[in-house]
Amino acid sequence: MRLTVNGTEHDVLSPPLTPLLQVLREELSITSPKAGCQQGGCGACTVLVDGEPRRSCLTPIASIEGASVATVEGLGTPEELSPVQAAFHEHYAAQCGFCTSGFMMAAEALVQRDGETSREEVIEALSGHICRCTGYVKIIDAVTAAVNGDVDTARVEVDQSPRGDEAVTLIPGSPA
Amino acid sequence: MAKHRGRGFATIEYPTGMNQNGDPSQAWIKLKPDGSVDVFSGTVDIGQGSKTVHTQIVADALGVPYDTVTMDNTNTDSSAVCTGTFASRGTFIGGNAVRFAAEKTRERILDIASKELEISPDDLEIADGQVMAKGAPDRKISVADVAGAATYQYGELISGQGTALKPLAEINDDDGSVTVEPHSAISYAACVIDVEVDDETGETTVLKMLQVYDVGRAINPTLVEGQIEGGAMMGLGLGLLENSYPFYPSPEHRGEQFGSYLAPSLEDFPEIENVILENPSADGPFGAKAIGEMANNAQPPAIAAAIHDAVGVWITEMPATPERVLRALDEKQEPRRDGKRVIYDEDLSVEALSSDGGQAYWGVHA
Amino acid sequence: MKAVGARLPRYDGLAHVTGRTQYVDDVRVHGTLWTKAVRSPHHSARILSIDTSKAERLPGVHAVITAADVPHNVYGHLEALGVPGDEPLIAQDEVRWKGQVVAAVAAESEEIALAAVEAVEVTYEEREPVFDIRIASDPDAPTFHQWGSTYPHFGPHNHRRVRKGDVDRAFEDADLIVEGVYRPQAIEHVPLETQVALAVPEPSGRLTIYTCTQAMYFSMGVVAAHLQWPLAKLKLIGGTVGGGFGGKVDTATETICALLAIKANKPVKWRFTREEEFLVSSTRAPWHIELKDAVTKDGWILGRRTLTLHDAGAYARFSPYGVTKHAFHHTGAYTIPNVRFDGFVVFSNRVPTTAMRGFGVTSVSMATEAHLNRVAEQVGMDPLELRLKNANRIGDTTGNHVVMHDPSTVVVTLAAADAAGYQLGEEYRSMTSERRTGELLPEHLVAQQAPDGDHLATYNPATTNGGAH
Repeated sequence: MRLTVNGTEHDVLSPPLTPLLQVLREELSITSPKAGCQQGGCGACTVLVDGEPRRSCLTPIASIEGASVATVEGLGTPEELSPVQAAFHEHYAAQCGFCTSGFMMAAEALVQRDGETSREEVIEALSGHICRCTGYVKIIDAVTAAVNGDVDTARVEVDQSPRGDEAVTLIPGSPA
Repeated sequence: MAKHRGRGFATIEYPTGMNQNGDPSQAWIKLKPDGSVDVFSGTVDIGQGSKTVHTQIVADALGVPYDTVTMDNTNTDSSAVCTGTFASRGTFIGGNAVRFAAEKTRERILDIASKELEISPDDLEIADGQVMAKGAPDRKISVADVAGAATYQYGELISGQGTALKPLAEINDDDGSVTVEPHSAISYAACVIDVEVDDETGETTVLKMLQVYDVGRAINPTLVEGQIEGGAMMGLGLGLLENSYPFYPSPEHRGEQFGSYLAPSLEDFPEIENVILENPSADGPFGAKAIGEMANNAQPPAIAAAIHDAVGVWITEMPATPERVLRALDEKQEPRRDGKRVIYDEDLSVEALSSDGGQAYWGVHA
Repeated sequence: MKAVGARLPRYDGLAHVTGRTQYVDDVRVHGTLWTKAVRSPHHSARILSIDTSKAERLPGVHAVITAADVPHNVYGHLEALGVPGDEPLIAQDEVRWKGQVVAAVAAESEEIALAAVEAVEVTYEEREPVFDIRIASDPDAPTFHQWGSTYPHFGPHNHRRVRKGDVDRAFEDADLIVEGVYRPQAIEHVPLETQVALAVPEPSGRLTIYTCTQAMYFSMGVVAAHLQWPLAKLKLIGGTVGGGFGGKVDTATETICALLAIKANKPVKWRFTREEEFLVSSTRAPWHIELKDAVTKDGWILGRRTLTLHDAGAYARFSPYGVTKHAFHHTGAYTIPNVRFDGFVVFSNRVPTTAMRGFGVTSVSMATEAHLNRVAEQVGMDPLELRLKNANRIGDTTGNHVVMHDPSTVVVTLAAADAAGYQLGEEYRSMTSERRTGELLPEHLVAQQAPDGDHLATYNPATTNGGAH
């Protein structure tokens, strides 16, 4: 059957009940969607199917025949990051990075949806995704920035301050 | 039929390193002919950012720009031994290994530079990839040119290796005493948690977690925040949500999926405030200590204290599930008093449950 | 420009956001076989027979292994320290926890591997399992471990001991004795990336293993010991681990992949399902901690007696180290001069417990911090003021004689109080970490205070010449 992934048409050979995740990872070697649980519970496999975020681990390819699938590989490159990617990089929203692809595709769907989105609405929209490393803070920061167009640099600016950082306090009496 | 607010507090400390068992970390560095720096550290990055932190340490220890330093992927052919990424040793001990390797490498750079500039190495310094005479910065040679000269003129590979290894802390098995500290440093933290407890459902909602950490030196403050925040949610899970054995000690009804095992999600996400303090260590790289492991230790007792503040019951079997809170509210158990003894949780104790008053445990010789 | 202290971008940040970071399961080697394990359905049982012949004959199955295929089947995580190994890689005559590996298969697809697992026939004779560590050492309790109910190698003892000062005298002198029981639980590590390894036979005869381990050389040593191979024949490759938290140290998949790869002479991968990750991968340990604090009515903690039971699960693994670390920190961030601590590693028929974030100390922090709040309530004192009074200060020593040179207990406590708008009495707000003097140095804390000016590592008041540098 036919499947378009990141703009490229593929003739998929896997049987019809094969989950999209397996087709992407094993047959097409597109490895950004991750096999986090294969139960639909963690969101790490999330891709866009015709613009909508879907759990690729629970999506048999027969159910999306002819559809257009988008993964992180199609978002941008290190030289030209998409706004969602730039926001995640700028806000340090990834630690181990394993959940990142799923979060970014869900965020991409939110960005496409247009209109201002509050932090609370972002939290609600992403609440089906699990992250174990970050405690979610910087992910929410990143996505809120991305959906509200608050991403002004494509690359992270290196902080040139030698020691000055308002968030860090040297205890009085300690050697500097 | 009401929601009650409460606040709880905890102060904790945590050791860096595991020299009770032996914990070396080694690293080596080489320069390419164009002066770019290759680092081979055995420390595994599990997401905490050890690759980043080590690169920052090497950049400053050598005096070169951060983006000229490359970290190899950890493997056993080219990486040297690092005992492992645990015991909060990645920044301190792993970081010291790369720092020592960088310092040795720096000596080699200065040696070649001194020959090229005809200035003693003691009168040279390196900053931003340039070797300069102290006080006369126009007399200089780039690290790139030094590396080229080393390769093609002096016949030397500029490299350096380092090992961080604290001697084994042997333990006296009779009284637990040591003569060598069984850690390389100690980090400290305090945490204040605000909760709301529903006395009809037993549910506890964490409203805010304020956390203060002394990490010695924040090599990268954003990565430190990442540990504080990630640890905070893990601690929330420990305090309220997660249990491998929901009916412990029974092994029944274990959760096998997200949804039956309750890992903290955005549904549980409170306000999180971080305060990072630096009380530098004596021996850590640039005064660093650690944070990774301790980041989920302060929250469970602070949550228990907050629940007590809110509804007056102590939950000491974690997590503080709604069932446990409701049961405690129903039973309203007061501690037993026996003379000057105030005895809580008696029915959970070994003495109450074992067939001989727990003699196997309480009866060991003094 | 300085790098240290700067908010520089993550080294692997761009790779993460472009989906290019490579995890073990992203490595593609042509012809890789899938692994599945035959696991014990019983908590405790003797194995009467194992028959793998039907599985071996299934088309697409390239290798089946049992304990007989493991050159050195016993290992222990602390063997390097002279502690004997107690755990088989693959179960041999018995199973001690539900989910323990009895056999493993490598096949051309996940479906065939699952069918092969179904085709392995194992017969068991069930035994009464042990689950409650509080009663596991009762005279009438069943035991299953070759060492009995508790780990016996803390030197000559079966418990980790800390003895300092005179705890009986402290209890006599106390105005109040506050006692409580604390039971922090087992939890899962829940890394987003499940346990995974890929073993690839190389043309040279070496074996390359892509691994998610947190401890590259430790895992190499474990694999080499099981295979009875020199280290030179192995190459372990890491990359980025998709979350570890202490759960990827035990080396769960590498050796079995290696054995299957050698037998099949093909690359073999084993990726745990999320169910396996939740049900059969090692967990944080459950602990049972009983504290008895001897306190004065003005809030001094004169002494503490502690009984700790650590639920090790079916085998020892790192538990003795965890209990030792726990023992070193059982007074928390406070100075308690008279202590008696007894900590036991107790076996039960559940998946062996392992390191998890904070290992050993998480449990004792939970217990001691919760307990301090109760103590404060009983003596009628503000819980922060109680902490500040008893907090570690410069020159204080711990239960195992370590000298505090630069504790930050007071600093972080005051900073948190300040940030939270917490009202403290004036004398507490101005407290520092400086050496105890005057009212902060009551009689009962004098002996434990290390001499001023010496940078001692340890100080034992019972000896005349203090500790070594």
